[in-house]
Amino acid sequence: MIWHHPASVFSSGKWGLCRILSCKELTVELQRQEEPHKKKDNPNHPSRIMQTPLTTTVPVLRLPRGPDGLSRGFAPDGRRAPLKPVVPEIPESQESRESQEQRARATLRERYLRSLLAMVGRQVSFTLHEGVHVTAHFGATDLDVANFYVSQLQTPIGVQAEALLRCSDIISYTFKP
Amino acid sequence: MAMRQTPLTCSGHTRPVVDLAFSGITPYGYFLISACKDGKPMLRQGDTGDWIGTFLGHKGAVWGATLNKDATKAATAAADFTAKVWDAVSGDELMTLAHKHIVKTVDFTQDSNYLLTGGQDKLLRIYDLNKPEADPKEISGHTSGIKKALWCSEDKQILSADDKTVRLWDHATMTEVKSLNFNMSVSSMEYIPEGEILVITYGRSIAFHSAVSLDPIKSFEAPATINSASLHPEKEFLVAGGEDFKLYKYDYNSGEELESYKGHFGPIHCVRFSPDGELYASGSEDGTLRLWQTVVGKTYGLWKCVLPEDSGELAKPKISFPETAEEELEEIASENSDSIYSSTPEVKA
Repeated sequence: MIWHHPASVFSSGKWGLCRILSCKELTVELQRQEEPHKKKDNPNHPSRIMQTPLTTTVPVLRLPRGPDGLSRGFAPDGRRAPLKPVVPEIPESQESRESQEQRARATLRERYLRSLLAMVGRQVSFTLHEGVHVTAHFGATDLDVANFYVSQLQTPIGVQAEALLRCSDIISYTFKP
Repeated sequence: MAMRQTPLTCSGHTRPVVDLAFSGITPYGYFLISACKDGKPMLRQGDTGDWIGTFLGHKGAVWGATLNKDATKAATAAADFTAKVWDAVSGDELMTLAHKHIVKTVDFTQDSNYLLTGGQDKLLRIYDLNKPEADPKEISGHTSGIKKALWCSEDKQILSADDKTVRLWDHATMTEVKSLNFNMSVSSMEYIPEGEILVITYGRSIAFHSAVSLDPIKSFEAPATINSASLHPEKEFLVAGGEDFKLYKYDYNSGEELESYKGHFGPIHCVRFSPDGELYASGSEDGTLRLWQTVVGKTYGLWKCVLPEDSGELAKPKISFPETAEEELEEIASENSDSIYSSTPEVKA
């Protein structure tokens, strides 16, 4: 027997949990939350069910987008659309140039961030100031890309198991994907 | 605080999902293709599950689907006796390769120049994609329908599985090098290039063999019949799913069962780790694909880690478009956000 998704229920509460739960999941969730509170000495608490549970489910930003039902997709203005050759328009309006620049910046930024993702776990060679070269396994970067967290950093004075490389010290880096 | 796994359900297919494959990591991220008995394979963004497009053209159930490494081409194998090659950027059909019976499996070489196909006619075929009009090279030898065929050892060899055997062939000489016999039906096969490992599932067993010699490395038994298993790129974990609708995660080194998840409403037909190992996808008889986190609670893709101290107030509604990548990522990473949930999630039936 094949099930389709049962009716979905919106769940929200004081702890801000806001995701779609199926009836079945909601029942289980409520039952689970009931248990710690049964022992609590405040049967008149108005939002008993809504208090922070002991284990929470991982929150999600949104659900994956599904087909639009209208077309077969592969949006012509999507990320991977073949770049059209830039034809200068006469007159060229200020807005379109700005939005083109904005779009280009967004694409470049996204490619850079994806290059960082592709680097995770790989051996990276860094060129630092004063002709210093080090290699390490790339771990992560912080929000502003100010520091790189690396492991097994091979330095001229030995191997450092874990290290933070200041990005301002890095001139360039290279890796093989 | 332990967190419970939130799988992301990708809807859109109307019949069972029988095969899925990830691309490699490209400058645009990685991608996922799903093969479905409704004849309409779909391409999705690999880390979010967002639908990108549907390949329209097959006239029967699609049994196998694959992407090339940079996700520029897709190939599908269908019950309409054809395999098709598609442009994975535009969704256009590039080639239709006629066969004499149901085609079950397709695989690109690393350079995307050749396509390997196999199916119910018991023949392995190698098509030169630069010369689509030319006849394919054929390798015979299987005595039952081919379920899976894969290039291995840098495309110098071919691995193929039929009902009861797994065979290794040399590409240059087109001859059989070695074979393995099983007394139970082989349900799936996965090839891991780094380390030359072959993952084979049959009955309740998940077996690991050397892809070069076919010698056994180890095997695990699951609580139920397993239809598909996948090994993590770092070879720390493996995931498997089958007839009891559950997904199991094992430690590869010790064989200990680490996690198991219910969620699908039907048997699981295929399960694969993403190329970066951060998530795994499962396809089921219930017509859905689900994405599961390898490390539960980590911020990745659509999953957002929220620290216990964050109290809840519904955040401002978040409208995200693919082009505003920078804005989206700042939203995800902002330090003082209470909770970032869209108040109007899109629900597609």
